[in-house]
Amino acid sequence: MDNVAKFNPLSVRAAKARLGVAISKPIILLLTVLTIGLLFGGLAMVVMADIYAGWLVASLCAAPIMILEWHRGELKQPKSNGVSVDEVLAGNILGKIGKNPTPKDLVRAVSASRGGVFFANRFGITSGFLDNITTDKPADLEKIWQSALAVREKSGSEFISGAVLLVAIVDCAEDRDSLLAHMKLENQDLILGIKWYEHTRHLIEKIKRPRRTGGIARDFAFGYIPTLKKFGQNLSENTGGNAHVELEAHSEELDMLIDTFGSGGRQNVALVGPTGIGKTTIVRAFAERLMDAEQKVPSNLKFRQVYMLDSSALISSAPGRGELEGLMNRVLSEAYSARNIIICLDNAQVFFEEGVGSVDLSNILLPIIEGGGLRIILTMDEQRYLQISQQNSSLVNALNRVNVAPADREQTMTIMQDMLLFTEYQHKVTYMYHALAEAYRLSERYIHELEMPGRAFKLLESSASHDNGGLVTGNSVQQAIEKTIGVKVGVASGEEERDTLMNMEDKIHERMINQTRAVQVVSDALRRARSGVRNENRPIGTFLFLGPTGVGKTELSKALGEVYFGGEDRMIRLDMNQYVMPEDVSRLIADGAKDPNSLTAQAMKQPFSVLLLDEIEKAHPQVLTTLLQLLDEGVMRDVNNREISFRDAIVICTSNAGADRIREYIQRGYKLKDFEKQFIDELISSNQFKPEFLNRFDEIVVFRPLNKEELLQVVDLILAGVNKTMQSQKISVNVADDAKSFLVDKGYDPRLGARPMRRVVQRAVENTIAKQMLGGKVNPGTVIEITLDQVKTALNDGEEASD
Amino acid sequence: MVMLVVSLFQWWYGDGLRERVKFASVRLESLIDYFSFSLLLKTLFSPYRQISAGKVDGALEVQLRAFADKLFSRVIGAVIRLMIMIVGFVVLIISVMYTLLNIILWLALPALPLIGVWLMLIGWNLSWTM
Repeated sequence: MDNVAKFNPLSVRAAKARLGVAISKPIILLLTVLTIGLLFGGLAMVVMADIYAGWLVASLCAAPIMILEWHRGELKQPKSNGVSVDEVLAGNILGKIGKNPTPKDLVRAVSASRGGVFFANRFGITSGFLDNITTDKPADLEKIWQSALAVREKSGSEFISGAVLLVAIVDCAEDRDSLLAHMKLENQDLILGIKWYEHTRHLIEKIKRPRRTGGIARDFAFGYIPTLKKFGQNLSENTGGNAHVELEAHSEELDMLIDTFGSGGRQNVALVGPTGIGKTTIVRAFAERLMDAEQKVPSNLKFRQVYMLDSSALISSAPGRGELEGLMNRVLSEAYSARNIIICLDNAQVFFEEGVGSVDLSNILLPIIEGGGLRIILTMDEQRYLQISQQNSSLVNALNRVNVAPADREQTMTIMQDMLLFTEYQHKVTYMYHALAEAYRLSERYIHELEMPGRAFKLLESSASHDNGGLVTGNSVQQAIEKTIGVKVGVASGEEERDTLMNMEDKIHERMINQTRAVQVVSDALRRARSGVRNENRPIGTFLFLGPTGVGKTELSKALGEVYFGGEDRMIRLDMNQYVMPEDVSRLIADGAKDPNSLTAQAMKQPFSVLLLDEIEKAHPQVLTTLLQLLDEGVMRDVNNREISFRDAIVICTSNAGADRIREYIQRGYKLKDFEKQFIDELISSNQFKPEFLNRFDEIVVFRPLNKEELLQVVDLILAGVNKTMQSQKISVNVADDAKSFLVDKGYDPRLGARPMRRVVQRAVENTIAKQMLGGKVNPGTVIEITLDQVKTALNDGEEASD
Repeated sequence: MVMLVVSLFQWWYGDGLRERVKFASVRLESLIDYFSFSLLLKTLFSPYRQISAGKVDGALEVQLRAFADKLFSRVIGAVIRLMIMIVGFVVLIISVMYTLLNIILWLALPALPLIGVWLMLIGWNLSWTM
């Protein structure tokens, strides 16, 4: 390795590369002019002046021609004859770094290369950044060369290109890991970046290359198809933006298509897979492959054309009874007679089922599919395939089913890179690598209606409108999904948000009295989440709130919704006393289209929420078992087997179980922390909760009953709310202390806690104010003083009225 | 410097020549593909655009007429295909000659100064009047 990593600046290849760089564009122009000058000048001397030396002058044009050809053919990228650095270093770099290079010389050469520009645009690794992490000591070069050879091997690159060398330079930086972390990149990302760069170059070269597609006489032997042309899209001609998609992710399915149609069996294929998985793209790639003379395709498939039928155009053109069948017959007969057509029925279910926008053409299609005279491709999702198999088993038996599997992360990234060539041109933007990675991560979690790679690409496309000066970053993708879901998905960044998180307890206490331990543990969980240090494969926090009614359990949940998610309405609330039967599990996971109030449907619509499961102890054990995965992994599967994420939710279960025991402990003078553990043991031993259920929570928080002082504070909070409401009328209210004590006595119920308090205060205070206002005793700017007598009167009136 | 000149000649008669030949063969292949010679030969007597190519049932008279139609369609197809093949063949011959000339020039170009010196020494005259 040591010998290999040596750089020999005096090698023949290095000299050629330097010459290649030295022959710049002006030199090329000069040589071209010289060629023309010598040739015509020499001939003119012979012809016009009979000077025979003109032959010599004209013949000397061979020298510049040879130099120009040599430059074009070899000097730009001299042939490699070994494995040492100077033999595998890309010509454009080798020619620029001179005979005694330093790391800074490498940076200059890399920054000017296409690979360097690519990494500056896509990864934000600029020449300034590279300059900061390199020295000007020639001795440091050997480490970079060794690293470059290793990176080249890892990425499978032919040469040490600008991109490879750039990654090697970053690899050799002293604080490499922290630098990468700062750029939100991982080790593997840079290697994937090299592959992306080389893959893009390969695709561009492939697009530039002329294609052989059968020539002018290709279709002479095949029939006319006027009706089919009207109702179908020729995928073989209309590859458009998807041209040259390499489809590495689906190469297996593509080969199966070719094998099936190339062999003598049934000439049909049903591509089955969820929406967004790439079924139509496979058909397009198949069409493109058949048209490419250089591809290995059986001769009976070569230059066959794939037509995708437009179902809506067909249905709308034949409104009358039986007309559609006639039209379809005509289209298929044309395709059959033409002898070079493969029909594609995209979303084929619309041709096999009755309903809005659908029609049952099984009677026409089944004989054709069974007969195998006409090649047909059908695409549909698994669910529809199963439905059709129930309705029409003979149809399904006649089909050659090919399952299309979802793409994994690496495949999805490659597919997105392929598609971006067209998207970037269309939207006039440049996508950074971070945008692709973020699109994969966020779409995997929040977009449920599509499968990979479609879901990631859909998000990536919608991010184009959130570009920053033509650059689509990870932040653009976050903005795009925030616009869709309406909540923040990024790490806390704004000063205001940081302030909220740091002072979370104070903000919650603005609307909640005491329960400091509960507030503390919940606030800690949220800080962990927004600073990005939590386990992302679980909900933000899972809490079990235990305690009597009216002590603030629900209030804390609402406060969290408001402080953390920006509104009390950011809450999914389920009363678990409605889930007391085993069959209630199905209501919990029902399809949103059938039951929009099911837990999974609500979480899909609003993943960033407080999920409040009230009175959890009343739910059936089977319901609790269903919830275990939610608490453990932050996911739940709905009735359609879609994985619904709860990883951005705060899950709070509340329970009154053991409320009497809590009161008893408090009355006997115990403090919360003294009996908390024993109390939870009692809940387990009395079979109110199973230990495996309790173990799933991050924290079990016991709420204690409020004492009189705290209840007075609750009254103050309610009064502050009343004053806030009347602020617009410039009126405020002040309640005497003895009146507040009276309100506490009236508003506190040992069983219901402080819950009746709001009602009592509203009745006493708001009624008094209303009467005074209607009696004309209140003007703007007035402070209404409410005495004990007034409160007593208001409450007595109310009681009499209710009697 | 000498090393570079040697390299230039090595490339010229080695990889450079191979590249030239490959480039020429790709161009010829494209031309053959454009005129679809193999397809035209394979389908020389096929009915043109499948006109009157379908199977016809019925009385003898109807079948005879269908046979005649199909024969006519085949003749038309064969004529058109033959014409295209002839045009294509001519273009191909010209292209092959151009390619050969190109390669001969490539081979001879390094020797051009020597030819120039020889022409100068013999005093070959290329005046308009000759």
